[in-house]
Amino acid sequence: MLSLEKLDVSYGEAAALTNVSLELADGEIACVIGPNGAGKTTLVNAIARLLPARSGKIRISGEDVSGLTPQQLADRGVALIPEGRRLFNTMSVEENLELGCYRASLRSGRAQSLDEIYTMFPILRDRRAQKAGTLSGGQQQMVAIGRALMARPRLLLIDEPSLGLAPVVITQVFETIKAIHARGVTILLIEQNAAKALAVSQRAYVLDCGAIVAQGSPAELRARGGINEAYFGHGG
Amino acid sequence: MSATLLGQSVLSGIFSGCLYALLGLGLTLSWRYLKIINLAHFAFIFLAAYLTYQLAGPGGRPPWLVLLIVVPLFFALGVAQQALLDHFKVDEFASIIVTFGMTILAEVFIQWIWSADFVRLETQFLRGSFEVGAFFLPKQEMLMAGASLALCAATAGFLRFTWTGKALRASLDNPPIAASYGVPGQRLALMTAGAAGALAGVGGAFMALLFTLAPSQIYTWFGVVLATVMLGGLGSAMGVFAAGLLIGVCEAVTMALTAPAWAPVVPFTLLIVILVLWPERV
Repeated sequence: MLSLEKLDVSYGEAAALTNVSLELADGEIACVIGPNGAGKTTLVNAIARLLPARSGKIRISGEDVSGLTPQQLADRGVALIPEGRRLFNTMSVEENLELGCYRASLRSGRAQSLDEIYTMFPILRDRRAQKAGTLSGGQQQMVAIGRALMARPRLLLIDEPSLGLAPVVITQVFETIKAIHARGVTILLIEQNAAKALAVSQRAYVLDCGAIVAQGSPAELRARGGINEAYFGHGG
Repeated sequence: MSATLLGQSVLSGIFSGCLYALLGLGLTLSWRYLKIINLAHFAFIFLAAYLTYQLAGPGGRPPWLVLLIVVPLFFALGVAQQALLDHFKVDEFASIIVTFGMTILAEVFIQWIWSADFVRLETQFLRGSFEVGAFFLPKQEMLMAGASLALCAATAGFLRFTWTGKALRASLDNPPIAASYGVPGQRLALMTAGAAGALAGVGGAFMALLFTLAPSQIYTWFGVVLATVMLGGLGSAMGVFAAGLLIGVCEAVTMALTAPAWAPVVPFTLLIVILVLWPERV
């Protein structure tokens, strides 16, 4: 589904990602973990075509998408749940969800998709006329997830879903991610909370200082002592 | 002062207010959604007014036919202007200076073609007034007020209910995320500029119908229309309409009760008072 080959991304002269290669099979859920400032968000923004790649290839189902616009990438069935939710704050909950199915091919499914999201998150149905910016953090995360699901993605990029949320809400969010994956969506999960991320993932990559420093199954990574101490100490 | 005179003043204030809203509608859209404070909007209005004067003059085409020429033409002009501003990455502040420059160029152009003298569109179109009781309702002003209300309401409805309207608001809130859901931000910006241009075209046609034109008159509209736009809340189509009415009626009543010279004080006093009491408005 997703394949990165020797991806380099830089902010001006400063390299943010160097030589990042990564594979994600159809229907798989993989996570990229690593400390603050490792380049995790840069990676997801580069895949979403919000940042230009300096060199390397991003392939989706074999097609090189590194030259596409974000809009064209959306047409390929990729949806992003960005770090910090980044909702359309002045718009209502329902309008935020509707923007998820903005593309012409999705509009006919609007009512059905909305109904699915409201069944998944009943609180959003009650709050649908409320401005998204006035919701609690957990509810905002529901809107962000719902907005992405409205796009009926094949590949879902989720960036730091636990950021700024209470522990009980984080648990709910990860349950939701598992449920989305169970419906057949391929997921790349970017997360600082390594324990939570590994618990839902089939494959994991450790990113530090802009490079992949370790990869493998969650069990393999947990077994490696050095990595464990370096990256898994916090979160929990 | 008689009640009739005061009533007639309020009526004329309503008509002025509708015109302020009509002229400000395109301006408020480009200010909010394009981050362009488009002073050239006033130049577009006057170019459209002169064009209407030219095409609808004695023995010329009926004004509604002229509108069919002016609207698409000024849509295209709006799009071209936005493409130019976008190409040079003109930001909100610089846009004031750049579009002021464009306005001066347009003034010179108008002077070159039509001279600096006053001109007046002579037309039989909707001459005269309805008389309702003691009040006179001029037909041309009635049409203008109807057009202003219809366009403001249509714009508000468009922004609120259509896919494109929602996409435009989403793009304003969060451009990259909107793009990642397929919103074509750049195309929407060009369309918005085109719509603002077309609205200037309509405003210009009514300007020609209602006023005597001179190139220097472009600048006399800056103050009151910009005050209307700010008072209405940037980007709010019904807000600009309400603000236009408020300013127009207050001006007219001030003129009737004191002297016409006090009228220009009204919009800015209102603006300052509202900014002090309600600072998040702008």
